[in-house]
Amino acid sequence: MTSIDVQDLTKEYGPRRAVDHLTFRVLPGRVTGFLGPNGAGKSTTMRLVLGLDRPTSGSATLGGRDYATLPQPLREVGALLDAQAAHGSRTGRDHLRVLAASHRIPDRRVDEVLEETGLGPAGRRRVRTYSLGMRQRLGIAAALLGDPRVIMFDEPSNGLDPDGIVWIRTLLRRLADEGRTVLVSSHLMNETASFADHLVVLGRGRLLADTPVREFIDARVRPAVRIRTSDPAVLVSALAAHGHDAVEHPDGHWTVADARVEEIGRLVSGAGVPILELAADEGTLEQAYLDLTATETEFAAHHQEA
Amino acid sequence: MPFAPVLRAEWLKIRTVRPLPATLLALFAATTAFSAIAGVSDTSDPESDPLFMALSGVAPGQIAALSFGAMAVSAEYHNGALRLSLAAVPRRGLWYAAKLTAIAVPTLLTGLLTALAALLVARAGLGPEAAGLSLAEQTRGVVGCGLYLTLMALFAAGLTTLLRSAVATLSVLVPFILVVSFVIGDAAGTAVEFMPDRAGQVVLLETPDGILGPWTGLAVTALWTAAALLAGAWSLRRRDA
Repeated sequence: MTSIDVQDLTKEYGPRRAVDHLTFRVLPGRVTGFLGPNGAGKSTTMRLVLGLDRPTSGSATLGGRDYATLPQPLREVGALLDAQAAHGSRTGRDHLRVLAASHRIPDRRVDEVLEETGLGPAGRRRVRTYSLGMRQRLGIAAALLGDPRVIMFDEPSNGLDPDGIVWIRTLLRRLADEGRTVLVSSHLMNETASFADHLVVLGRGRLLADTPVREFIDARVRPAVRIRTSDPAVLVSALAAHGHDAVEHPDGHWTVADARVEEIGRLVSGAGVPILELAADEGTLEQAYLDLTATETEFAAHHQEA
Repeated sequence: MPFAPVLRAEWLKIRTVRPLPATLLALFAATTAFSAIAGVSDTSDPESDPLFMALSGVAPGQIAALSFGAMAVSAEYHNGALRLSLAAVPRRGLWYAAKLTAIAVPTLLTGLLTALAALLVARAGLGPEAAGLSLAEQTRGVVGCGLYLTLMALFAAGLTTLLRSAVATLSVLVPFILVVSFVIGDAAGTAVEFMPDRAGQVVLLETPDGILGPWTGLAVTALWTAAALLAGAWSLRRRDA
């Protein structure tokens, strides 16, 4: 199986360093979310992996090989970089036929991926008549054409309607379950949380995190428990007896910070507190990400002062 | 990666964008139309070269050849199309060779057909004036014309790869060919004979009277084209896509 290996990768455009000594691996069989604000270096990294831009130093390889040395690149790697890349006066189907021709992929496969991406009959229309969502689907169809083992999508949910977003989530899951290596960039946290197993987080070209999604969140956001009760006084005293503080919210529910639902549930039922609602308030990727970037900003600010 | 499928992909690219085949049609139409007009024109100077008169439609027709070469390449420089092309064919030299072949072959075939048609319609108009043309001269004119148009299309293709824009290429080449060669042309002396268009068009003369002969003239144009293609190749290899 093929992994993407990025090793001490640096890319400078003039004085600006877009990618700064980046090292990480993307492994097969899971969806890796590639996170970071716009301009963090995600697209640049993908272009470097595809050999489109030359690294200033370091390397990016696929299963140990340079992209440019792959004998049939579309059968190894499927990439969606820019949904606008298809020529407006060509039909969607012809756009795919051109790519297929370079690898002797039969037209039958072109029709298959058109069906698979939900374009079907729209394939006979010119690309200029497509909505952004349809162009995105065409870009994904192009990436799937060679049935590649490595998938790289740059912001694939851009312009997709809600149906499309559910579709792409299912597609990414399936591709990873088939044992493929899947790298998907996004700047949308909740979106990424919905499909990624693993995260690679960039900030200003540098690696901020390379960890499973769950660990990333748990390490940065303390879990809390959410409770509603008909007898707040008993609740507060029962919690206080065990050293927990409860905070009341305007709509009447309480939260216990830094606590697990397993512990609090046992505790309040033991004390006979009438419970209307009890839920684990787990951190979101967004909270974890903001916590991470806040630390980073502080770090950068300190560095500048020094 | 083998060359044949890459060439097929590049040819399919040209065929499936309507303005490109249309430009080749325009090359045929403009050249034969202007040659036909030159053939029947009363103002024809009795001392003018009858072969050149018959093929004079090349002057406007070559603009179509330049546009074809420029547009076939410039389509790659819109919205990251080149990235998609080079992701499919990462060996840039191979890709460039396929692109140029996909431009050259149809231009050559259209050029030969066009030159033959232009010669036939113009001869019908010129009548006795063209009677003195030998078969060898006419064959040389037609073959030379096809080659000349192909070299011009490739010249534009190379320059567009360097400049990454058809507009930039055509705004350099068209005034250069229309204005510089024609207006400054005769005043500038012998240097102008080595301009890419002037040199190559010697092959269209029944009796060349300058320094360059028909084939040496075409060779000079080929050198210009080679320089443009090399500049394009250098740019393609060196720059980020």
